[in-house]
Order: sequence, then C-alpha cells, then structure tokens
Amino acid sequence: MKGTHLGEFQEIVMLSILILDENAYGVTIQEEIDSRMKRKTSRGALQTALTRLEEKGFITSSYGEPTAERGGRRKRYYQVSNKGVVVLKEAKDLRQDMWKLIPKLA
Amino acid sequence: MKHPEVPSFSYRLFKWFCKETLFEELEGDLEESLLKNKEKYGLRKARRIYTSEVFRMLRPTILKKSKSGPVYSMALMANYSVVAYRNLSKNKLFSLINVLGLSMSLAIGLLAITFSYEIHSYDNFHENGDRIYRITSTRTNVNEDPYEYATTSLITAERLNDFGGFDKIVPLFKRFSGDVFVGQNLFQVKWLLAGEDFFEVFTFPLEYGDPNSALKEPFSVVVTESLAEKLFGKKNVIGEVLVKNEDSYQITGVVKDPPSNSHIKFEALASISTMKAKPEFETTFQWGNMWMSYVYVLLPENADMDQVMKNLIKLDSEENAKVDRFEITLGLESLDSISPNDAKYNQISPVIRKQTINRILVLAAIVLFSAGFNYSNLSLARSMKRSKEVGVRKVVGATRIQLFIQFIFDSILMSLVSLTFAYLLFLLIKPEFLNFAHYITNTTTLELTPLITLFFLLLAVLVGLFSGSVPSIVMTRFTPTKVLKGIHKMKVSKGFHIREVMAGIQFMLTMGFAILVILTYKQYSYAMNFDLGFETENILNVDLQNNNPDILRSAFANIPEVEGISSSSFIPSTGITNSAFAKLPESIDSVDANTLGIDAKYLENLGHELLAGENFTSNSDGQQVIVNEQFLKRFQIDLSEAVGTRIQFDEESRTIIGVVKDFHYGTVYKNIDPFVLVTEDEPDYLNLKIQSSDIVKTMAKLEEAWSSVDSKHPFKANFYEDQIAVAYTDLSTTMKTFGLLAIVAISISILGLLGMAVYTTESRLKELTIRKVLGATFTSMTLLLSRSFVKIFLIASLIAIPSTYYFFTQTVLTGMKYRIDIGPWELGSGALLIIFIALITISTQTFKAAKTNPATNLRNE
Repeated sequence: MKGTHLGEFQEIVMLSILILDENAYGVTIQEEIDSRMKRKTSRGALQTALTRLEEKGFITSSYGEPTAERGGRRKRYYQVSNKGVVVLKEAKDLRQDMWKLIPKLA
Repeated sequence: MKHPEVPSFSYRLFKWFCKETLFEELEGDLEESLLKNKEKYGLRKARRIYTSEVFRMLRPTILKKSKSGPVYSMALMANYSVVAYRNLSKNKLFSLINVLGLSMSLAIGLLAITFSYEIHSYDNFHENGDRIYRITSTRTNVNEDPYEYATTSLITAERLNDFGGFDKIVPLFKRFSGDVFVGQNLFQVKWLLAGEDFFEVFTFPLEYGDPNSALKEPFSVVVTESLAEKLFGKKNVIGEVLVKNEDSYQITGVVKDPPSNSHIKFEALASISTMKAKPEFETTFQWGNMWMSYVYVLLPENADMDQVMKNLIKLDSEENAKVDRFEITLGLESLDSISPNDAKYNQISPVIRKQTINRILVLAAIVLFSAGFNYSNLSLARSMKRSKEVGVRKVVGATRIQLFIQFIFDSILMSLVSLTFAYLLFLLIKPEFLNFAHYITNTTTLELTPLITLFFLLLAVLVGLFSGSVPSIVMTRFTPTKVLKGIHKMKVSKGFHIREVMAGIQFMLTMGFAILVILTYKQYSYAMNFDLGFETENILNVDLQNNNPDILRSAFANIPEVEGISSSSFIPSTGITNSAFAKLPESIDSVDANTLGIDAKYLENLGHELLAGENFTSNSDGQQVIVNEQFLKRFQIDLSEAVGTRIQFDEESRTIIGVVKDFHYGTVYKNIDPFVLVTEDEPDYLNLKIQSSDIVKTMAKLEEAWSSVDSKHPFKANFYEDQIAVAYTDLSTTMKTFGLLAIVAISISILGLLGMAVYTTESRLKELTIRKVLGATFTSMTLLLSRSFVKIFLIASLIAIPSTYYFFTQTVLTGMKYRIDIGPWELGSGALLIIFIALITISTQTFKAAKTNPATNLRNE
C-alpha cells in the first residue's frame, strides 16, 4: 500500500523534526541532521524527503511570521502528525523485536 | 527581494526553475543558511555553498512542471491512432495517393540504403583489416597524362621485403584463370596466384589444410569449398591433383568461399612461387610490368606511416632511374578505401564508384522528397476540413506541441503503412536492379540484415517527420475562436504559398527526370548508330579459344551462308584497345599508337576504305603495316609519300604499305588517335560475314562446324553490333536508372496533381456548376481550373530545362568526345510531355464536374 513505507532518510528527518519540536523548519532540520549524522545533506534532498512525507500524511506544515533575516520571507514549520508518530513507533518496535531475536548479541 | 550578498545568477536561476509554491520557503532557507555560513566560513565560501545548493535543487519535486502538460500519455496516443485511422479511411482517395507515392519512393529509398550499405561494408570481415594496405601505382608514360592503377609490379613486393618495416607482404597475380582438367573433365576456374602469407594477412578461414604452409611450395593450390564440390563432389580434396596447361597442381587446402563483400574473389589460389618455376613468367618480374599483379602489406601496430611512405618513394625513384619512357609512383591505399573507390584501373574484381553510390542516394532522396511533398500538399489542402478538430482540441486544452505531435503521428503512421508496401515492391524490383549492369551483379547481393531492417524503419519515420512537419505547423496555428465561429474562408495565405512552391519543386524534378531520360536515350542511340567508318552489320565474331584459326576457317568456309572470313587479335570499338610505341627511325619523338593484328581479308570483310597503297597479302611477314590518317598527321607524312615510309613500331623496323581511312576503334568517349594495323598469325577471333535468312539455322550449322573441331569448349560467338551494345552498358545503365526514377517521379507527381485537382474541383464544385448553368463550356472551365497550375508548370520548366541541361553535360557527357546536338526540341519535349499529362489529369476532373446534372450539385443549398 502506497504511503506506509518509510525510508531511512525520511525516518531521520521525522525524528529531527520531533527533536526540534517548535523550531523545526528547513535550516534547523538540515543542521540537526548534519550534526548528528556527520554528513552534508543538501537542502534539495531534504525538500524531496519533506514533500514525500507530507504526501504520505506523516508530517504537516504551516507558515510562520516573516522575519528580517530571511529578506522578509516566511519560514515553514513542520510538525509530525499522529499518524507519523504511530509509524515511527512501529518502525522502532519492529527493530527492537528483531534485535531481541538475535541470539548472540542479546 | 533578494539579499545583496546572495549570488545573483544562482538566485535568478533558482527562481526560474523552482516551483512558485516552494520558492519562498526554500529561498528563505538558503538565504538564512548563507548568512550563517558567512559567519562560519566567510562570504566567499558561503556564496559557493549557496550556488551548489541551488544546483542540488534540480530534482523533480522542486522543478517547475512544464506548461505543455503531458506530451505523451497512453490515452492520448490511443486517441491519436484512432483519429489517424479514421482520417486514413475517411479520405480513401487521398490515402491511396499518399500510400502509392510513398511506397514507390520508399522502395527506391530501401534499394539505395541496402546498396550503399553493402558497398560500404566491403572487406569488413578481415581481422587485421585496419592494418592491411594495398600498394597502388600511378603511371605516367612520356607525353601522356598519369593514370592510377590498383596494380603494382611484382618486383615491388620483392624489393619491399628488403626494406623491412612490414609485418607481411603478400603479392597476388591475376592473369592466371583458365581451363582445368580433373582426369578427363574440363572446367573453367577463376584462379589467382598468391604469396605464402596470404592466409595470415587476410581472414579467409581454411576448412582443411595448414594455412601457414598451403601456399609455400610451387604448384600447390588451395580451392574453395564450392569448387571442391564442383570438381570432385566432396569437400576434403587435399592431395587431389588439378591439371592446367600440362602442369599438375597439388591441392594443399580447402578454403571457405570468399564472402560476397570481399573485393578479392577467387575459386582457386595457387602459390605465387609457381611463377618462379615457370620460365615464361620471367618478364613478369619487371618494374614496368604492373598490369596484372597486386601487392598487399600488413603493417605492424602503430606503424610509422611517414617511414613507410619514405620507403616507397625511395623504392620508386631507384627503379624509375633504371627505365625511360615511363615513370611509376607508388602509393598506399587502406583496405577500407578499396571499395567503393573512384577511377583506379585494373581492379581485381569490379569496384563500385563512390560517385555511383552518391548519385543513387541523391536520386533516391529526390524521389522521397517528391512523395513527401505530395503528402504535405494534400494535407495542407485538406487542412480546412480538420480545422474544427484543431479548434475543439485547443479549447479543451491541447497545446501546440501536443497538436503537432498528433499530426506528425498521422504522417508517420502513413509512412509506416507505406513501408510495408514499399518492402514488397523492393523485393519485386531487387532482381531487376541486380541485373541492371554487370558491375552491380558482380558486386552486390542486396541481402537484408537486421541492421538494414532497422534503417528501413528509421527511413520511414524520417520521411513521416519530413512530410508531416509543414502541414502540422500550419494546422497548429489555427485560432480556435475563428475556426469555431465558422469562418471557413479564413485565409491560410502562407500555407497556400508553401503549397505552390512545393508543387513547383516537384514538377521541376519530374521534368528534370523526363528530360534526362530523353537526352540519355538520344546519346545512347547516337553511340549505338555511330558511323564507325567500317561495317559491322552481319558480322559474327567467333572467339577462337586457342584453337588453330586455319582449321576453323576451313570448317566455316564450307557453310554457304558465310560470305567472308577474316581474323583479328581482338574486337575493336568494344572498349578494348591495345597499343605500342611508334616513331620515325631517326627521331626520338615517339607516340603510343593503338594497334590491331589482322589478316589479309580483314579490311575488305569489314568494309574499311584504303586511301593509298595496298592491303596485306597472305605473304605479308609482319614487316608491313597499314596506318590511319591520324598517324600520318601526327608524323607529318604526306599521303602521297606514305607508302614505303619506314617506321619504328613495337621496337621493330617496319614499312608502311597502305593508309586506311580513319575509323573508330575506341568508343565515343575517345578521339581518333594514330593507329597501326599489323598482321597477326595467331589471332584470337574470326570475323564471319553472314548472309542468312534463317539465322537460327545458320547458327546451328556454325556450332556444328565448331564442335567438329573443338568438342571441349562451347561455341562462343557474338554479333558485332551486340558487342558494341555491351560496350555502352554504362550509358544504358544510366538510361535505365534515370528511366526507372523518371517513371516513379512522374507517377508520384501526377498522383499529387490528381489529388490537388480533385480537391480544387470539389471545393469549387458549386461555382463550376453555376458557371455551367450560365453557359460556360467545358474548355473554359478546364482553363479556369488549370490556370494556377499552368503558372507553376511554366516556372518549373524555366528552372528545370537549363539546370537539367547543365547536369547532363556535367555528368553523363563528361569524357565523351562525340556528343549529340542538344536543341530546344530535345530539351522542351520532356517538359511538354509532363505538362501534357498534367493537363489531361486536370481535365478528367473538370470533365466529371461538367458532366454531372447541375441539379444534383445545387439541390442541397
């Protein structure tokens, strides 16, 4: 079924949004990912992930107030929807279940 | 508003390609990052990061969607096909005209593609192909123009061995074909002599035998599979013996038949060391003897071509220093440039000229254009009928690109339908084409490969694109408001001009072809009926095939229908000439004079006219010669003093005993030059003068007489006039080619004209009917309809006549010394013929309109 699959990068994006809480918009998400993953992501790649997640209904977005530091352009804030949280938990549970089943490491 | 520190090019680029809904957010983010990065890394790096970020935005989620909407979708394609099919079947006449024209021209196109592809794929099967070269010669005799030859003296091969710098050197010798005995049975075999490295240089795989040693020993021979089958009825024939001229040759190998696209064609290859073992070949190993041998070399990888050329120059200058009266310059020719090739003499087997291929391609393109014009013209003429469709589609939201694709789809579909018919036509004319000329038969098979089939499809699609583009562009221009309001008389003024121009070009080409055919035919019949200066009528030339001429002479003499018998060393006026140097004894000024060996009866038998002196007698001992007028002119000998003059000819001193009137021993391509007739004791031909009312019966008698003398060889005899016709196959091939194309081109343009006439009468039917009711005559109506066409015809013929004349003199007539006079009638008749046919086509349509009851056409208003 379309819309239930969650890619690795998409999962990280959603987690970053949750970490940033009220302050999750393009630049901060990008910085969050960069600092945690120790890798450079492009804003373009991020945008693709955000678009896909929004299409699937895992995140929602809304415009904030215009700020001077951005030449008067508005930020777009992202929040993880309930559906998104459920999917994230499912993904985490699935992994934990699988970890438990590994005999040697457990 | 952009921040001043944002790189402006990247900013503008981003703004241009980014979706509007995303731009505010993304640009804001980028700008914010820029400011942060500036703190961290400084402005320059920050700007660089900005730009690289912009480029990484190039992804589908961010890019603007193109405004044209989906260009291809299955649903639309399905709809296009349905509409295209409906259009084809609704206008049966137009579809028929288009399909007919396109199939004919596509068939010609397929022929041209297959032919050109095959010729260009010559010799592509040799594994070392890129390293194989052939040594060529350019020979300049004293006082003559240089000629290029594919042949080289055998001495070249021997001397190059000393120079080094070649991996392998392979000499080939051609003049070795002849009869072969296997036991008591006689066979005709095409032989070549080849150097021992032949199979290492060329890729001709051996079925049996050792490729390295097969051609080493003298009198060893390698035969092809099919020859082995023919001679012995089996394939493995190693150790068997062939007898040729009383020499026994041992078969040391069996090779696969050479592919049809090999320029080296043979049935048997004997070792070239055989020549060393036979004393009669001694003179063959001379620098000047370069007429029958070829030298191929295999260069090492990354060979230094400059050094190779230097070696050749060194070799030829050393050898040229030893001889006088001629000079030979060596050249190098890569394997892939051997075929197609222009104008090298003495090729190993016939080679198609580049010029021929290019000409065929151009002519095929012209015919294709013509058929394409038909499609464009008829589609344009009918475009009004489809204007409503265009209007509705536009209103519903179709873009111009989508409409364009739809109409192109139409024309490509038409072209593909025609391709199937064209393919059938192609199969039909293929055998005809292969028999067009001996050099086509000998070089081409026209076999189809998957790649060629792909080319066919490509050609059809291209033709579709070409013919559909003009009407498509015009039709997509219609504005829906006008079309849907029903402004039918909307002027497509631009389209109208295009139509006239296209029809004009088409008629120009058609007239050109017609004129060309007429002119070539005239030149051909002129050449055929040319006054040679002697009689060829009823002369039957018999090939002696090494038989004793006297025995055969007496055998034929018993037949009452044979009125006269003479003999000659070859048959002049059929393209063959032979020559030797002639000069006055005390002078050094020599001339390469043409010559023919004859007997005492020859001049009388063939109706030559003696101007002075006397004929040879049966006592002539070879010291006497008869010369022509040109010979006297060249050496400034007066006619009255000619008899008795001593000359030096073919390195012997001889006396002129007679002067013969100038005659054409060559073809119409050549002027008459000095000619020397000598006596010949061992002639190759008998010339029989036949007087018979029943030629079949006479031939049977002659054959019987022949087999009483020679039971092994079949009787080979041809009438002189037929042999002359063979000498002009070039002309007759040109004529046939132009003829075929002319038929196709004329049919196509007449079809197109018919379509236009039908359309014009249809759209003016009411007008015509009203005119008829008011008293217009059939003639006046025809004139009315043809007026616009006549204008096109006149302009077309004004351009076609002079350009065809130019083309004809530049191509067909080049190199011909004797030409037809081209007058206004020759030029005009072709154009008139086309105009005549065209007017008849138009009047058939008027006739239809004029004959119907006016009430039928007017009732519905």
